[in-house]
Amino acid sequence: MSREQNPYDILGVPHTATTEEIKAVYRRIARRLHPDVNPSHPAASAQFQDIVRAYELLIDPGRRQAVDQQLNRSEDGFIFSLQVTPSKRQVVPLPEPQVIYLLADILPDPRAQEIVNRGETRLNLTLVLDHSNSMAGTRIEKVKIAAHQIIDNMGSNDILSIIVFNDRAETIIPATPLKDRPALKAKVSMISPGGGTEIFRGLAAGVKENREYLSPNMVNHIILLTDGHTFGDQDECIDLAVQAARDGIGISAMGLGHDWNDQFLDTLASKTGGSSEYITSAGGVVRFLNDHVRNLSSAFAERLRLSVAPDADVVLESAFKLAPHPQPMEFEDGELLLGGLQLNRHISVLLQIQLPSGMQEGPRGIARLVASGDIFTNRHQQHLSVCDVSLDVSADAESESPPDSILDALSKLTLYRLQERAQQALEHGDVTEATRRLENLATRLLAMGQEELAGQALSEARRVAHTKELSDKGRKTLKYQTRHLLIGTNNEDLSQ
Amino acid sequence: MKACPYCGYTNREGLLFCEECGQGLTDARTGPANATHVFEGNASDYAIKSAWGSASLTTAATIIVHIRDAADPLQMPLADKMTLGRYDSTNSHQPDIDLTPYGALEKGVSRLHATIERNEDVLTLVDLGSSNGTHLNGQRLTPNQPRVLREGDEIQLGKLVAHIYFR
Repeated sequence: MSREQNPYDILGVPHTATTEEIKAVYRRIARRLHPDVNPSHPAASAQFQDIVRAYELLIDPGRRQAVDQQLNRSEDGFIFSLQVTPSKRQVVPLPEPQVIYLLADILPDPRAQEIVNRGETRLNLTLVLDHSNSMAGTRIEKVKIAAHQIIDNMGSNDILSIIVFNDRAETIIPATPLKDRPALKAKVSMISPGGGTEIFRGLAAGVKENREYLSPNMVNHIILLTDGHTFGDQDECIDLAVQAARDGIGISAMGLGHDWNDQFLDTLASKTGGSSEYITSAGGVVRFLNDHVRNLSSAFAERLRLSVAPDADVVLESAFKLAPHPQPMEFEDGELLLGGLQLNRHISVLLQIQLPSGMQEGPRGIARLVASGDIFTNRHQQHLSVCDVSLDVSADAESESPPDSILDALSKLTLYRLQERAQQALEHGDVTEATRRLENLATRLLAMGQEELAGQALSEARRVAHTKELSDKGRKTLKYQTRHLLIGTNNEDLSQ
Repeated sequence: MKACPYCGYTNREGLLFCEECGQGLTDARTGPANATHVFEGNASDYAIKSAWGSASLTTAATIIVHIRDAADPLQMPLADKMTLGRYDSTNSHQPDIDLTPYGALEKGVSRLHATIERNEDVLTLVDLGSSNGTHLNGQRLTPNQPRVLREGDEIQLGKLVAHIYFR
């Protein structure tokens, strides 16, 4: 996190707070996040360092005055806010661990709609396109059409670069503002297929071009489109992606057809705040690419991160991004990389948390969540929003039904988890369990009225029972289609 | 802990969907066939009472197996584990409930076909990998995976059909 963040926001105190109040808040947080108390959660120590820094600034009258002056100068308006809804507000203390869910929503500033009209979101986009032999025919032609449309639709202040790769990488359009569009389109038209697939070279060239114009007030993004497996260079790709993400570059991955490594592309995207997509046929390429670029350019803020510091006795079990693009998330040093915040959509993340057994009665904190990100229009770009989640532990807590938003999301997320666990069982060679999970998945899908997908699950279950493996196509279909069920649950369009 | 009303899997408290089979664990989603939990007493001696009517055995002590086309139903006291099957003199393990008198052999019942198990307040039906399979209310069971058995359920072992009641 940057040193330039507002120390009042970090501590969650008003600008008018007295030194005594600041000390009290600091002591309360320190009791929960100090590394001696809470050594197991990486986000706790990271957040604590920020808190110490903020505290030291505000506790010294001279430095606090300097902070106040600087804040006055850069008071520039737009914000996003973090709202956290727990599945229960009151819990009963039990002699066994119990689970609770937190729905974290990051909401854009409702006043920000005007940014679109002012066209302040600038793209620094890099396309990294597979032109291996398997792309020959319709696939490569659709990719060219999509690239042409992207060139036409991007603004003249935007930056574009295009890399094509097979077993080598070629920069056909070095990073450049979109001035001479016909010339750029002509270069795209000359792409011809051939060779194998080696993603690392293409990605490395893409990152290099994207860095040319890398800027905190732009959307820096790489779209990787491939239709094949890359061999032996996956770890290098991930390392490169993590490094790029640290510098503020997001990477989205699109897999075309069914012969590509979904786990690899998912990891690549989730570690950089990008998204991954399964495009079943060449016909979908144009729409997917254009939609993606449009979403990127409607960003209000970029490089959103959610740092989750649970209290020492609380276990953070899993995180899943529900919106805008449903996908499982992995923590990187206690943080989730969430990519761009669009003007008309929430970012929504569901966390599953285990509370310890034998909690004492009374109110208690369970986790401190901090959302941070760059808002383009603000001069002081880093913004953050803090939410300290606490619960009431009481033996006579009334049983309350969980919020519909959580129930609804979970009913669908459960299906995704079922297919995920079927695949895990299969990886461990447990065919019986994998079959059972797939059959359970089929039953649930039928109950939801997803007959076609249920049929797929059932036929994959039979296939697993006989051949001990899933078909490439079936596996991807189940994985990405169960994910897609989540679209629209928490993804309310704010503009409607 | 909370037992799934569909598959009997024990889920941690607070989970809203069964981790095993995906069944909803809250009242709102799943209607009458679901568990309601009543917490009694304080934190140290809390108790969960399962109260889903048809699957609850708190008062039932006898199980009645009503085999289709048979004159009299089989009645027996509930044990922790009852094996259904067909007596065979060459086998060292014998079923607790012998279905030979009901045409088990012709109807394709295996020697050790299925078990009815009692876990606390719930009965579950488990297929033991039988040759011709076990169906519960028309749905074929995956071998060795327990399914909750409710009052009035129809079970089918091979081609032998029976209804289960508690008393």
